[in-house]
Amino acid sequence: MDLSQYAELFLAESREHLSACNQLLLEWERSPTSAEPVGGLFRAVHTIKGMAATMGYAKVADLAHRMENLLDHLRRGGRAPAEDVIQLLFRGTDALEKAVELAVQGRERDADVAAILADIDGAAAAHHAKPAAQPSALARFTIAAPEPEAPDSPSLPAAPVASAASSGSSRHVNVAIRSEAPLKGARAMLVVRKVQSLGTVDRLQPQLTAFESDDFDGRFSFELDTTRSAADIEAVIRSVGDVERVSFGGAAGDEGQVTPAESAAAGRGRHIRVDLRRLDTLMDLIGELVTERGRLNELAARWVGKDPDIDDVAIHISRLSADLQNEIIQARMTPVWQVFDRFPRLVRDVARQLGKQVSFRVEGKEIELDREILDALGDPLVHLLRNAVDHGIESPAERKRQKKNPEGEIVLAAVRERSSVAISISDDGRGIDRAQILEKAKREGILGPHVETLSDDQLLRVLARPGFSTAEAVTSVSGRGVGIDVAMTRIRALGGSVEIRTEPGKGTAFVLRLPVTLAIVRALIAAVGLERYALPLTYVAETVEFGTVPLTTMEGRDAIVLRDRVVPLVDLRKLLETNGGAPPPPPRRPVIVLEMGERRAGIVVDGMLSQQEIVVKGFDAPQGTLPVFSGATIMGDGVPALILDAAGLV
Amino acid sequence: MSHTVLVCDDAIFMRTMITDILAQAGFEIVGEAETGTQAVEKYRQLKPDLVTMDIVMPDMGGIDAVREIVKQDPDAKILMCSAMGQQALVVEAIQAGAKDFVVKPFQPSRVLEAVQRVLG
Repeated sequence: MDLSQYAELFLAESREHLSACNQLLLEWERSPTSAEPVGGLFRAVHTIKGMAATMGYAKVADLAHRMENLLDHLRRGGRAPAEDVIQLLFRGTDALEKAVELAVQGRERDADVAAILADIDGAAAAHHAKPAAQPSALARFTIAAPEPEAPDSPSLPAAPVASAASSGSSRHVNVAIRSEAPLKGARAMLVVRKVQSLGTVDRLQPQLTAFESDDFDGRFSFELDTTRSAADIEAVIRSVGDVERVSFGGAAGDEGQVTPAESAAAGRGRHIRVDLRRLDTLMDLIGELVTERGRLNELAARWVGKDPDIDDVAIHISRLSADLQNEIIQARMTPVWQVFDRFPRLVRDVARQLGKQVSFRVEGKEIELDREILDALGDPLVHLLRNAVDHGIESPAERKRQKKNPEGEIVLAAVRERSSVAISISDDGRGIDRAQILEKAKREGILGPHVETLSDDQLLRVLARPGFSTAEAVTSVSGRGVGIDVAMTRIRALGGSVEIRTEPGKGTAFVLRLPVTLAIVRALIAAVGLERYALPLTYVAETVEFGTVPLTTMEGRDAIVLRDRVVPLVDLRKLLETNGGAPPPPPRRPVIVLEMGERRAGIVVDGMLSQQEIVVKGFDAPQGTLPVFSGATIMGDGVPALILDAAGLV
Repeated sequence: MSHTVLVCDDAIFMRTMITDILAQAGFEIVGEAETGTQAVEKYRQLKPDLVTMDIVMPDMGGIDAVREIVKQDPDAKILMCSAMGQQALVVEAIQAGAKDFVVKPFQPSRVLEAVQRVLG
């Protein structure tokens, strides 16, 4: 059986369960006396074990098995777990996650689990609960259905099928289950159930409880009171499967320990899994359909005089493809919790590492974003959250001095705005020291000496400069991973924007605004020579004609004056150092005014061609490419065009 | 006519695999359930010839689901899907009326043998 086809499903589902483990551990840590987290943890780890064993990932299955064992002891012990046990389970979850990822890459050998296994086994031994504390499943059954006339032989439940007449002779039957068969006790139980349909079973050796033990060797005997022949009896017993031998006359037996039954807990949502690439392909196809729809509409407009029906068809096709497009966009939408759910653990770990006390809250978990945007959002958010714990929240001692609650608060909130989603990361920490940043920015020549105060907008621009960091503030925590400049570049590449608000002593908030979906946007198609560029309409404020508005300069750059505001100009020809394969530009060139928050810029192009919906494709810019493109699209004639990034231009 | 099957397991991974094994052998998968409660409900609606039942599921476990289903239909043909180390639970499930069991990791041939025994 080819298992590779299931690897992706295994990975996706394992990740889901591992994320649930982290959530449950956090919950358990908060309320150690609650009985629910351990049940959920047990189930999640158990499921991973079963899947990993099926995939043949022995190490993953083994680690999951040992964790399951420890959790089982904890669950049965029923006591609040010690702090170090929770820590151990967090580590176990991490190790399991790593092992799962390695296994799927075919590198299970590289998973080093020896140390964690030893710790888990040690903890399991220390928490070993006495099996006697709870009656076994079988014991409960026996109590429920006693058989008073046979006090020293195990009582057997009656078969659901009506028993055959049992006035025949009594036979002593010996059965042996194949030694290699799994769960020999369960197989033996099936035999017993089956022969009960032939007559009355008595004097079972060993007793039923032995069947529940993993030590059961598969040999048992009983007395059967039946009218059937030996051959009939043997045939019925063999039909159960995995039966090695059936003989008549003899005896044997011993007793074993028992394990109690499972419990079950909370439910889960219903969904089907679709490979993301399939949705991407659908999106691409829809994009092509949208492009063709545009051409059909043009043709229809020309032909409508000859056959008016063509217009109806074109309108109908337009409506259908718009509906289809909408459905696919919806199918790509993913609730933010799928990424946010790992943050409580992250904030907790960072806070512990730095000796800070932080309560972390997530709001708006159900808000949805396009899967691609959500995936790209993970790293920037990790950076901003680390920053908030490290630089934002003060130490408990300092907070006490400031008469603040020693426990700081960080809130990650998603809110749906008209056509965008705002995600804010706010802390109630010390805020950003503007004076310090200003001084450093002047020292590095980023700002002129005449600047006296930093607006929020300026502050952000300074902070977002590559390499700008207040060196004394870099620690092992936020020194790692992406810098704020990288975080902002990522957000802007997604067509988003970043805002900052900070107040000394009160805290800092970053607000990221992101389009709900980036797959299809309306754009203005502009020409430079024979080349075409797309500008998403979201940021186009207006267009004016060069030469019809007053010209001026601003900080040495050409600018236009638009309703008493100076708007700096960016000449696309000069910026891209291209003539677009065409002779000099026409004298009266259009200016596209882009607006992003408070900032504006006028983009000078050769001409404006059309407004249309474009399908945004990811764009791996070659080294040295100007940071002004956010992606690419394919035009109706099959020629690609680059999408200009408003944030990179204004 | 091919036999109809209801597949009950909380892991999509496991449901997919069981479904693939049985569908390739010509069985018709008429439904899936991911909790015991759903299993009982779908059994009532679909009346399948065979049920594959996981033991550990949220909401209502597989053993309780077996009890409920057998209460509705004493002839229900239920095949337990168990992990290693769940002997006591499988014994309990058999007492509750399950007809056979297979142990993960599944070998298609063993799954099909068990299915034949249950239906035979």
